[in-house]
Order: sequence, then structure tokens, then C-alpha cells
Amino acid sequence: MQTEKELTEDLQRIVGTDNVSEATEKDAVEGVEPDFVVEPGSVEEISAVMKLAAREGLAVAPRGGGTKMHIGDPPRRLDLIVSTARMIEVLEHTPGDQIVRVEAGVKLEDLQENVSDSDQMLAIDPPESGATIGGIVAANSSGPRRYRYGTVRDLIIGITVVLHDGTVAKAGGKVVKNVAGYDLSKLFTGSLGTLGVIATANFRLHPRPGAARTVAVEVAEPQQAQAAAQAIVHSQVEATAVELHYGETEKQLTVLLESIPGGIDAKTEMASFLLKEFGEVRTLSNEESDRLGPLTPPEVADEVVLKIGAPPVDLAAVLESALGAAERKGLGHPRIMGHAGTGVTFVGFPEENEDGAAGFVEEMREIWVRRGGSVTLQRAPLTLKQRVSTWDNGGDYLGLVRRVKEKFDPRGGMNPGRFLGGN
Amino acid sequence: MERSRLIREMEGIVGAEGVVHEHEQLRTYECDGLMNYRVIPDLVVLPETGAHVQKVVKLCYDEGIPFVARGSGTGLSGGALPVESGVLIVLSRMRKILEVDIPNQRIVVEPGVVNMWVSQEVADKGYYYAPDPASQIVSSIGGNLAENSGGVHCLKYGFTTNHVMGAEVVLPDGSVTHIGGGKAPDAPGYDLLGAFVGSEGTLGIATRITLRLSRVPEAVHTLLAGFEDAEGAGGAVSGIIGEGIIPAAIEMMDRLTMEAVEEAVHPGLPDAGAVLVIELDGPEAEVEEQFGRVLEICEDNEATEIRVAEDDAERALFWKARKAAFGAMGRISNDYYVQDGVIPRTELPAVLARISELAGEYGLRVANVFHAGDGNLHPLVLYDNDTEGEAERAEKLAGEIVFTCLEHGGSLTGEHGIGEDKKKYMPKMFTDDDMNVMQLLRCAFDPHQIANPGKIFPTPRLCGERPGPFHMHPLQKAGIVEQF
Amino acid sequence: MTERNGRGEAGDDRYRATDATERRSDEGTAREDAMAGAIGAGSPEDVGQSTFAATTDSLQHTMGEDRPESGSYAFPAFDDHHPPEKAHIDECVHCGFCLPTCPTYVLFGEEMDSPRGRIYLMNKGLDEEPMNDEMVRHWDLCLGCMACVTACPSGVQYDKLIESTRQQVERRYERRADDKAFREMIFQFFPYPNRLRAVAAPMRLYQRFGVGDKLRRAGIMQRIPARMRAMEALLPDLPKEEQIPDLTGPVGEKRRRVGVLTGCVQRVFFSPVNAATVRVLAAEGCEVVAPKQGCCGALSTHAGREEESLDFARQTIETFEDLNLDNVVVNAAGCGSTMKEYGYLLRDDPEYAERAKAFSAKVRDVSEFLQELGPVAQRNPLPVTAAYHDACHLAHAQGVRQQPRQTLKQIPGMDVKEIREAEICCGSAGIYNMVEPEPAAELGERKANNILKTGAQMIVTSNPGCMLQIQASLKKMGQGGLPMAHPVEVLDASLRGEPVETLLDK
Repeated sequence: MQTEKELTEDLQRIVGTDNVSEATEKDAVEGVEPDFVVEPGSVEEISAVMKLAAREGLAVAPRGGGTKMHIGDPPRRLDLIVSTARMIEVLEHTPGDQIVRVEAGVKLEDLQENVSDSDQMLAIDPPESGATIGGIVAANSSGPRRYRYGTVRDLIIGITVVLHDGTVAKAGGKVVKNVAGYDLSKLFTGSLGTLGVIATANFRLHPRPGAARTVAVEVAEPQQAQAAAQAIVHSQVEATAVELHYGETEKQLTVLLESIPGGIDAKTEMASFLLKEFGEVRTLSNEESDRLGPLTPPEVADEVVLKIGAPPVDLAAVLESALGAAERKGLGHPRIMGHAGTGVTFVGFPEENEDGAAGFVEEMREIWVRRGGSVTLQRAPLTLKQRVSTWDNGGDYLGLVRRVKEKFDPRGGMNPGRFLGGN
Repeated sequence: MERSRLIREMEGIVGAEGVVHEHEQLRTYECDGLMNYRVIPDLVVLPETGAHVQKVVKLCYDEGIPFVARGSGTGLSGGALPVESGVLIVLSRMRKILEVDIPNQRIVVEPGVVNMWVSQEVADKGYYYAPDPASQIVSSIGGNLAENSGGVHCLKYGFTTNHVMGAEVVLPDGSVTHIGGGKAPDAPGYDLLGAFVGSEGTLGIATRITLRLSRVPEAVHTLLAGFEDAEGAGGAVSGIIGEGIIPAAIEMMDRLTMEAVEEAVHPGLPDAGAVLVIELDGPEAEVEEQFGRVLEICEDNEATEIRVAEDDAERALFWKARKAAFGAMGRISNDYYVQDGVIPRTELPAVLARISELAGEYGLRVANVFHAGDGNLHPLVLYDNDTEGEAERAEKLAGEIVFTCLEHGGSLTGEHGIGEDKKKYMPKMFTDDDMNVMQLLRCAFDPHQIANPGKIFPTPRLCGERPGPFHMHPLQKAGIVEQF
Repeated sequence: MTERNGRGEAGDDRYRATDATERRSDEGTAREDAMAGAIGAGSPEDVGQSTFAATTDSLQHTMGEDRPESGSYAFPAFDDHHPPEKAHIDECVHCGFCLPTCPTYVLFGEEMDSPRGRIYLMNKGLDEEPMNDEMVRHWDLCLGCMACVTACPSGVQYDKLIESTRQQVERRYERRADDKAFREMIFQFFPYPNRLRAVAAPMRLYQRFGVGDKLRRAGIMQRIPARMRAMEALLPDLPKEEQIPDLTGPVGEKRRRVGVLTGCVQRVFFSPVNAATVRVLAAEGCEVVAPKQGCCGALSTHAGREEESLDFARQTIETFEDLNLDNVVVNAAGCGSTMKEYGYLLRDDPEYAERAKAFSAKVRDVSEFLQELGPVAQRNPLPVTAAYHDACHLAHAQGVRQQPRQTLKQIPGMDVKEIREAEICCGSAGIYNMVEPEPAAELGERKANNILKTGAQMIVTSNPGCMLQIQASLKKMGQGGLPMAHPVEVLDASLRGEPVETLLDK
């Protein structure tokens, strides 16, 4: 076991003196403060750092923009943060093939800008700004456009990872269609840094649509919201996003439509026609849609935010159960928003009433896990997490999750304890 | 376990009619769609329910007997090739559609259900199942899952993995687990389903599969365009993609392929060096405008002839011309070797030129069928088995073509899988570390390595700890295998 | 749902699983007792309820030993007289496209009972394995429907392969005594209309006096072998025989001079079809010759009884060849298909080879012929919905699909319905529904269900075998009243201005 000084020196030898720093309390992950933060600049450096970490038995947390460090249960221990702040290169962008290869520290905004000059985009629109590709993949972040384009797992085509012991491995490639070997890109998507460090990732891109419009309908109650969403979902209009904003006063279903300029009017007309039986329909102006649209964060400071996954057709039931439970637990009218077309709903309420919050989480889990869904804490104070855990731990596949974790990270050095099942 | 006892035990699970053990009958199962490799299974078992599968696998696990799962046996990489002294578990009798849930746009099926049946089942409700491999009239959903099958509509709609929502899986130790959520999105945990799809039967057997249904598009427009050569066709493809249009399908065939297809199907193909079949679908107004642009782009790239499908029958004929391509090869050659490679689309002209060069060197003809949308190339190496040495040359040429694909930034396989056929090429695409890490996944699912052992990876690797006192595996003793 | 067994689907029991291949509700196949024939021979008991049990249990039917009779041992399983041809076998690339369309694969789900598997067995027979019980069993289970030929993208001529294989089996394989006796009995009767008529007459009395019911109530029915029951169940009510004249003049200008085949089962049980055929041909301007004639040999050909089939072929050629005919018109799909093959069948016979080719070139199915000729006679309306059933030997073997449909659609008021799973055989397949009653019954029921689902008022098909099979299946389901007719009977009613009732009261 090395001394701190020796460790610092070893790390500096790998990544350079400027790129090792002592951690401060703002580097803490859910209340656990590490000792060091390192910023490797290449895959080889990451590998060397991890070898060292393995040798010294250090617990490691990867970090990109830091926008998701609050997700998951508190780590059992944490010694080192491996930051991708220097892994910011766009390795390849081939517009003709519609693919891009980036290092994990590239911010999504920068990637989008980089590919936009060929009128292309990466069809992921998570709400956090400043998120890096590595973090987005690790947390499987998504936004409204997932309705049409899928989530990270549907867009990622290749990955390079570094395991806890420093092994570097790649999977996939830079072609969209590829079935050689196992699809580790998907395995690492959503793994929250518990299997290894994501060093680079490759994605398929989509053409940037020429025209966009948002249509909104006022819905008075949950059944209407569900019916309106279903009307769009089962139609042939091919919407890009179907979003719900269900607040105390403002209750709207918004539908984002994208097309070529010659086709946008017809689409807007069709969508409006489908929605009008449910309430007043408006086509939103740009400012309005910016305000309500994709960039509205599901998470707000000082709120507890739950993420509920349920069959899309149960939207009304989700809303009703949330409203009912919130009232019973003394939480008032929660702020609800969701991807109504895919069955993901976010419920937020102030964090002060912790007993109420805990009761709310338990009740929602009681209902929705039983029905094949999931209830996860998207954002919550530490004490609440310690009480009810981020994860509902439903499902009979926990054993398999554990076995995968044990194989990839036998020493338990990657974000130990943050993932479900205590992994 | 002694064979006759094993037969009795299996019969006890699936009934006498579910066990095949006579020699000639076993021989009919010795290969799948790829005839180059044959292994006679020790026993063939045909379960009818998930419970049967679970008990059969458990029995194999308890007795240390390797097993291979098989659907319709149409795979082209030898994925369902039986393993020596192993059991072949054939899922063709598990063919029920279990649940149709239109409101949630999903359907639950057993693994032996044929791909085409899924779409047929929901057609009258205005839905279909998007992944459409050319074998869809016979290949099973379970097989599609194992190989992550594609089809001609991949560019716009994705592959099997984008359309599977959940699965009940019998793991190699005989336990049953449910991965992927199935009904609700974003099930927490690792994307085990994503890792399972495309794992070629090495991680377990899916016994209930939840598939995503897609709404039939409002409008479909299809055209067939002839070009003087592949470059012209490729130019049109680039033009279309560059314009930001994503066709539902865009397929290319070269002159040799067209000759064969014309003989087999008589669609009346244009006299051209290369032909494109392009299909656009979606909302009517959008499609009409985009289609107009596509026509213009084809003309700009000097299409010699453009034919637009006037009705469903004509559209079906265009697709028949494309989908019959492999089978039609039998008309112009005694034998042929289907290769499956992927390249970045922009590399097509260079790769085709190289293939032409190689074909010349080897003295064989190569017909090319190309999923121009996603870069998946199917070179068909034509040869005559009865001519001395041609079969070997054909295989070597097919290998060279795959290396060419790799050299140009592509992959070993776009949709047929690695199976038995391509495991020798894996080291050309992946390092030892890459493969070792993939093996970690396999060990998590199948520590005893009894599920389809010997496929995908070139050298067998053991999985570390085994319960009980440590026994050195005979292969390990012989130094052939490493402890892993 | 109280168990947390994973994020599985809640409430799956809401939905009843349906067998995707069948797409009907899960009703059990109730096997009604059939009326038995008089002749019996020992045969194993009926199989159990499981579809798949048919394969092992009915293995009993075919057991025997390898025995060379003609030719010499050239291959492990075959002698050198027309073995299945290697060149044809090599055309199979093992793609499997034939599987979903093969009735036995649809029923059993096993590779050995698929065209791909059967070809594989033939290949093994050529290269390595001697003929044995299993191989023969799987070849016997083949219906010879040739749906696989239609489906195959590589153009494998499976029809030729199974024909030569069956000949080899008949020649070289010793069937079990009861099996042999049963088959012999069939071929003593079915190719000889007079004998068939002789047996059918007492059958009529038997049916009218409900002997079968009495036997059933007495509990004797169970003991009567399945094959007997199956055969008996197939035989319909015997109608009064309509005679057709030796020569019939054309109505109006003479366009062609044609001969007609009157058939065996057709002549005895469906003579109205023959009468309608002659009338329709005459109405369309044909001079129609109906010579005294025997069997065309189709059943024998399809069963692999080579010598017998060649004798019938020669006889048939001799019957028609000197009559100065433009065409020979056939209203039975199975017969037409074999007659078109005479050129191939008699290729080794120097005396008949050329004559056979010339003869085959003149053979037409009646619907095919009528469309070729082009309609002239006035069609009167027949407002009725009819489900058209494709006989395998017409659709798959002769490629005649559009012409019968066109013939029907040219009648004003006719609504022709398509039957789901049209390409799958009804189970008649020559003598199949008599020698393999269990799979035949399954297929028959399936076809009957698909027909009923069309909601049509009547069934139209071009083959007497199919008629017998479908009728028997419908009867078992309590739907025996659904009227059936040949396309030419429908056309005949239209040409004669008959009301729809004429067809629906049949």
C-alpha cells in the first residue's frame, strides 16, 4: 500500500503533473469524498491509471461533465475520480456514412456543432447541459426525441472501454450494421460506470430535419392525456416527440413534428386533426416550444424526482396514482412531465417532507413494479436514498446482473454500491 | 450419462415424439443453412413449451452435456451446427403467438414462430413487424434474435435488437430469468437483453419473446433504376443520403446478379451494369416530395432507366427480384458461396473494384448484392464443386473479400453472424483483449460453457472457478486451452 | 399477479395462445367414428391426441427389409434403375424456404418430414446409408403436393426426385403384410371404375341404412382399423350416373376437336362433372369425343408403382392418339398432371417415347383450355360467393392458378373468395388420405376451417380427390352440407341459365 505522496507521484507520472489534483468536497459523490481526481488524456493513460488503481485496491468513479454524479445510491467507498475532461477529441466524422467517433469527454453540444455543418445530428436530446458523451452513454440519458429515434442503445455502434484492471477492449465498429462478437456497446449503455471506464464511443447520425413545428393540446385530466398521446402513437403521422407537461395549472400534451419543408404543413395538419377531439389545439411559436420543449429539465434543484417506467397505455393510471399518492402523503400537486409516447414519466415534488417522500416512493413501487414497470429515484437527497434506495430492485434478473458485475469487475472497484442490487 | 438412459430421461420430459435418436433422422440435422460444416448430434430434442426447454437444459447442465439451439435451421454461418456428443434443441414446435397487445404496440411469441407470421398476425390491425430478413418466410424469431437479423429495411428501421422489448430466457444452468422489461421502457440494470440479442445461442435460450410492432406507413413508393455501372449507382446513393433522405430501403445488384434473377424470376430488369431498388415510406406528403427528389438524383447520376412501381403487384415484383437473388444463383452456377461483409458506404467503389480484382486473380466469378443503405455487402462467389479445387479457391476468395471489408473499416459480418464459419477471422478484427472481455460476458451467463460451445470465438476458454474440487479440464491439461 | 417473477407481462392468461401456424381457436380434433368398410386387415390402433405422436406411432405402418428386385445395387439405398438423380439433389442449397409450405413440416415440425430433410435422406441413400424403415417412413409421409417446388428459389425438381424414390421403395422394400395388403386392395379398385362402382353400390345401402351408427353403438367401431374407417369416411353418397355420349357436336362454329378424360373416381362419384365438361366444351365450340377408356395411371404414378403406371399410360395414349384430336381435356387435376408427364415417364420406351411426348403436348386442364380458347358462349349471372380451392396437382404441379379463377370471374355476379393458407394441401394427395389417415385428417380439418372462415356459400375445386377429402372433413365437423362443385359445373350452370339453387342444392 502506497503512501499518498507515492500515489500522487505515480499518477503524475502517468497523466502529467498538471492533471492530478487533490479532491475537494465538491468532488464528493453522494456524500463520499474521494482522494484524487485525475484527468488522463488518452486511452493508454486511462489504462495505466486503472492498472495502478487495481494494484492499490482503489475504488474508482469515472466522471465527465459531472451532470450525473448524483444518480444511484451512495458508493460504498471512493478513492479516485477519473475525469474525461481531457478526452475531448472528435476522432472521426464521415458524413457520407453518417457516423461519428468521439472520445468520451466530448460534450454533446460540441459534438452536435461538429456534425451540424453537414446537416447531421446525433439524435439524442437529454436535458442536462454540459453532459459528456461518456456520461450520456453510462447513464443512458435520453430526451423527447427518443420517441422517434430510440435511445443511446439504438444509436451507439461501437465502444472502447477500460476495465478496472486496465484491460482495454473494443466492441462494435464504425459501421451501422455489425453482428461480429457480443454487443458490449449495449451492455455498457446505462451501466453507470460500474463495469469500466468508457473511453470512446461511435454513433450513427441522422440528417437534421429541415423543418419543425410543435403542436400542443390542452388536456383537462389524465384520461384525456392518455387518449391524446395514444391517438398520435397509433397514427401514421410519424411524430418526433410526444411530451406531457402535467402541472397544477398547466396541463398540455405537446407533439414535436419534423419533416422536410415540403412536408411539414401536412404533418402539422394531421397531428392537429388527431388531437382536436381532446381539447384546444395550438401550434406553438418558437419561444413557447423552447420553453416547454425538449430542454425542460425533468430535474429541478431541491426536488425529489422519480422516474417511472410503465406501459405507454397506462399513462392515465400513472398520473392518477401519482396524484393520489402525493395528496395522501401530503406532498401537494407534484410537477409531472414525461415522454408520453414511450411510457417514461418524471414526478417531482419538494424534498422537505422526507417521510411523505419515502411513503410516496414505496406506494408507487408497490403499484408499478408489480405491473412490470420500474420506479427509480432520478434525484433525491442522501437521506432519502439511504431509506428507500435509488433502485426498486424488482425483476428476477438481479442474479445475472451480479454475475456480470463480478466478471467485469471482480475486485469491485468501479463505483461500488451505486448500482442496483448493491453492485 | 449413458445414451439410452439419456434418451429415456429426455422422453420423460418431452414425450417419445419429441426425441429423435435414429441415425438417419439425426443426419438430417447435421447442418443448418450452411452445408460446409456437418456434425451429427448425439440426440435431437423438440420441446413444445418453455417448461420443456427449462427441464431439458437443466438435465444437460446436471450431466455436463453441451447443447445447441436451433430454429428453422436456415442460418448461414453454422450457428446451429450441432456440437459433438451434444444435444440439439430444436424450437420449431414452439410456435404459438402468445399475446397480441396492439395498444402497447407489442406482441409476445414463442421462439419457433416464423418471422413472416408476426406481420401476418397483425396486418389487419394496420401493424407489422419491421425486421424483414430475406429468409423471413421460414426463419424463426428465436433465430432472428440469436443472429440479430437485419433485412432490407435496416437503414430506416434498425435490426432485430431495436425491435425486441423483452425475453424470457432459460440460462445454461437451467434457471429462468426475464430480461429487457418487456412491457415498460428503461428497465433498470445492465442492458442484458441488448447483450443477449446477437449472441448466437451462446448465452441461453429465449422461450418467450416480446417484439415491438410498427405502424404500417401511410404511403410507400418504390422504384427500380438501372445505371451503367456501380459507380453511377453509388453516386445516386450518396446523393440521396447527402440530401438528408433516409429511404426505407435501398438495394443494389450488379450485372451478374441481374442475369441470374432475370432467368429465375423474369421481372424484366433493365440492361444495366448495376440496378438500384429504392423504397421510401412515411406520411404521404413527405414521401411524395422526397420521392420526387430521389427521381431527380437518379437522373442526375445518369440512370439509364427508371421504373416506378404503379401498384402493389409491381412493387412486389421489384422486391421479388431482389429477394430471389441468392436462390437465383443456381441458374447461372452449380454452386455458390454466400459471403456477408460490411463496409462504410463511402468505401463501396473501392471495395467493388478490389473484389473484381480478386475475382480475376482467383479465376472465379463474383456476383454482388449490396444493402446500399447500410453498407452490408453480399458477394456471391460462384464456383463448380465438381471441378477440382474450385471449392477451396472459392472459400479462400470469400475470406479475402472479408479481409478487404475489414481493411476498409468494415466488419466481418453484417447480419449472418460469426457462428462456426467466421470464428477463424475474429482475430483479424478483435485483439485478444477484446475477445477476452467479450468472454467475460459469456462466463457470466454460462460458466460451464455448455451453450453452443465452440461458436464465435476461435479458441475455447474456460471460465475460472467451478464448484467443488478443482479438476483440470483435459483440454487444459493438453495445453490447448487457458484457464481464464 | 402476486408474484414478482420479473418484469414479465402481467395477466398473460387474458390471452389464449394460438398456434401461429393454424390461426384458429384451440379446439381439439374430435375424431368422429367413421363407417367401416367390409374388408379388413390387421392394423395398429389409432394414435393419441398429440399431433406429433403420429410420427412414432405410425412408424408401425412401414416396416420391412431391404430387398433388391430389379436392377443391381448401385447405391447403398437404391438400385441403378432411375435412382433419384444426383444432379437434381445437388440443386438443393439447403436454404429451407420449402419448410413453411410443406404440410408435414407444418404438422410435425421435424426436419425429416420436410422436403429439405427428405432430399437429404435421398442424398444419404445415394452416398452412404442403406434403405431402412425410417427413411421409407419419411418418404411415405410426403404427400407429393409439390408446394415445395413452387416455393423453391433454386428450382429443385423435387417432384422428379420423390417419384423416382417412391419407385425404388415400391420395388426394393418389403412392406409389412397388412400394409401391403391394404395398398394392393386400393389399387385393385380405384383404377377400375366398374369395380369401384360395384363396391360403391352396397356402400350406398350401408350408408342409407345407417349400419355405421349401429356398429358404433355396438362398440365395434373402435376395433375397426383407422385406415378402413378413413377410407370409408371419404366415400360420398353415390349419385345416379350421368351418361355422356361418345361424340358431341359443337354449338355454332367448330373451333377445336377435343377428347375428354372421364376418370375413375370422377366417373363413378362425380359423373355430373363429366357431363358438365362435355356441355361446356360444346357450348364453347368444341367437338367433344369421349371414347371408351381406362385409368390414366395417376394414382399409380404418384405411388411409385412403375410398371402399372406405365401400362396405364400406354393404354391411355393408345385410346386417344388416333382420334385426330387437337387437345385432350382433363377435369381432374391429379390426372391432368400425370398425363402431361407421359413424355417423361415413357422416355425409356422406344416404342412410345415420341408418341407420349406428342400426347402430353396436347393435354390441357379444362380451365386452362377454356382460357386458352377464349370464352364465346353467353354467361348468365350467378350471384353467389364461392371459395376457390387450389388443388395441388393443378396449382403446384401444373402451375394453373389464374385460369380457374378467371373462368369463375367471367361469370357475372360471382364473388370468388381466396382461402387462407391456399398453398397447403387439403390432405387428399392421391391415396394419402387412406394410407396416412391421421395427418390427412389434420390437414383436412385445417383446410375445412380455412374454407369456412371465408364465409362462402359454396366451394369450387378442380379435383375429385380434394372434393372427397374436404367433404369428409366438413362432415366430421358437422358442416357436411356445404355445397361443392367443379369450376366447369359452375360455368355449365351459368351457360344454361340455371338459378343459383342448382349449385347450392347439390
